[in-house]
Amino acid sequence: MGVGLISSYGMFAVQGLLFLLPQRLKAPTRRLFAGQINQFQIGALQGVLDLQGNEILVKRDQQGLRAFNSTCPHLGCRVHWEAERQRFFCPCHNGVFNADGVATEGPPAAAGQSLAQVPLEVDQKSGVVYLEVKDVRKVTT
Amino acid sequence: MTTPAPNEPKSGIIDRVKVMFPLDWEIVRHMGAEPIPYHLKKWWFCLGGTIMYLFVVQVATGIALTFYYVPTPQEAYASVAAITREIRFGWFIRSLHKWSGNFMIVAVMLHMLRVFFTAAYRHPRQLNWCIGFLLLGTTLTFGFTGYSLVYEQLSFWGATVATNLAEAVPLAGPWIAYFLRGGPEVGENTLTRFFILHIGVLPTVAFILIAAHILMVRLHGVTELHFAGEDVAEEKRHFQFWPDHATTEILIGVVLMYLLTIMALIFPAELGEAANPNETPAHIKPEWYFYFNFRLLKLTSLKLSVVLTMVIGAVAFFWPFIEEFIARRWRISDKVPVIAGVFAFLSFLILTVWEAFAN
Repeated sequence: MGVGLISSYGMFAVQGLLFLLPQRLKAPTRRLFAGQINQFQIGALQGVLDLQGNEILVKRDQQGLRAFNSTCPHLGCRVHWEAERQRFFCPCHNGVFNADGVATEGPPAAAGQSLAQVPLEVDQKSGVVYLEVKDVRKVTT
Repeated sequence: MTTPAPNEPKSGIIDRVKVMFPLDWEIVRHMGAEPIPYHLKKWWFCLGGTIMYLFVVQVATGIALTFYYVPTPQEAYASVAAITREIRFGWFIRSLHKWSGNFMIVAVMLHMLRVFFTAAYRHPRQLNWCIGFLLLGTTLTFGFTGYSLVYEQLSFWGATVATNLAEAVPLAGPWIAYFLRGGPEVGENTLTRFFILHIGVLPTVAFILIAAHILMVRLHGVTELHFAGEDVAEEKRHFQFWPDHATTEILIGVVLMYLLTIMALIFPAELGEAANPNETPAHIKPEWYFYFNFRLLKLTSLKLSVVLTMVIGAVAFFWPFIEEFIARRWRISDKVPVIAGVFAFLSFLILTVWEAFAN
């Protein structure tokens, strides 16, 4: 009887836990139209929303175009660009990232965390800028 | 087939109710005659009852708020705004809920301090200290989930930081964070989960823990405290629960209601900007009871602050057993636990005040 009780209620407990814990789904990526290259001015930074509505910071400088995930790798707050200091700043715990997204001050620097870059592609013919973003609508296990 | 013969009808309605609800009134009378130590005549020793009273206020105002609150990212903020600005006495009910929650956290902390510094957690009451500590955790989780439901900028980012913080818990962290958020990031599922936790799971847990806590107090009896230099006659060392102590508790309840009303009138619950998942405000701070942890995060690394918080929590939870273990091995002075308690509380206080006045 003990084995029966444990196995039946144990199974129920496991099933209940799995029900409450969402599946870790792997979203495929897709190309997202970010704009024409001439929309991005040198030295300026522009925000583009991904398919989940999260902001991606697209920056154009002498090195070309780069896109940064605006989520701070420390605790998930949003960083913002401070043009006058040429740095990304996270207001939650005073995390500072340089123009290349590398952490220089605060807890992210101590942990060696940098801003994640989002793959970006420029169509040379049309000058269209594409971002490679997660397509959350097409999730697979 | 035989049917049971109807009982002889009684004359009065009370007699009939007594028959239908066959309660042994002698047991009830006996429970009410519980001898209460004389020190409980002073209100600061009655903080357990204070917490109970505040919990009842929380339940009553919380149920009222649930009639209007909509737990979706699109509607949550607007429904709280409607409660605060449009619905009759909505601001008052919300303010009472907010202030009774804050008072409850203060009362739980003061109650634990009183229990600690009077050594009332010692044998045979160790288990009740552990239950009390779980109640502290439940109360803080109530505060955190409740604040997140407002879905304003500060509460949204508070929830984001806290769930990411959970991710740093060794081994189970990613699972805990995923469970709390209902996915990889704070969103629709998170709000629903916090809502269910706040109005369903946590109240159930709190009811069970409170029942267990009170049962343990009744089984062990209230701790007898003896103060240096006191001279109390034997017949005055105890008084009855009913009506003496019950009257004290009712009076405390009345004073608390006055205080809650005054706080609600002078400092009504406010509402900041609506949550914007794409913009973290320049200055974010959690609710005051998490200031110490927020400061710890700024002073140490993420992993260290999480591990430190867990270690401090575990030591506090198991303190009665740890103290027993230490006392068995090394003959320590009674002052050592007091010094440890003062040090722990002062550390909490300093970190809290530091964060309160920091930019």
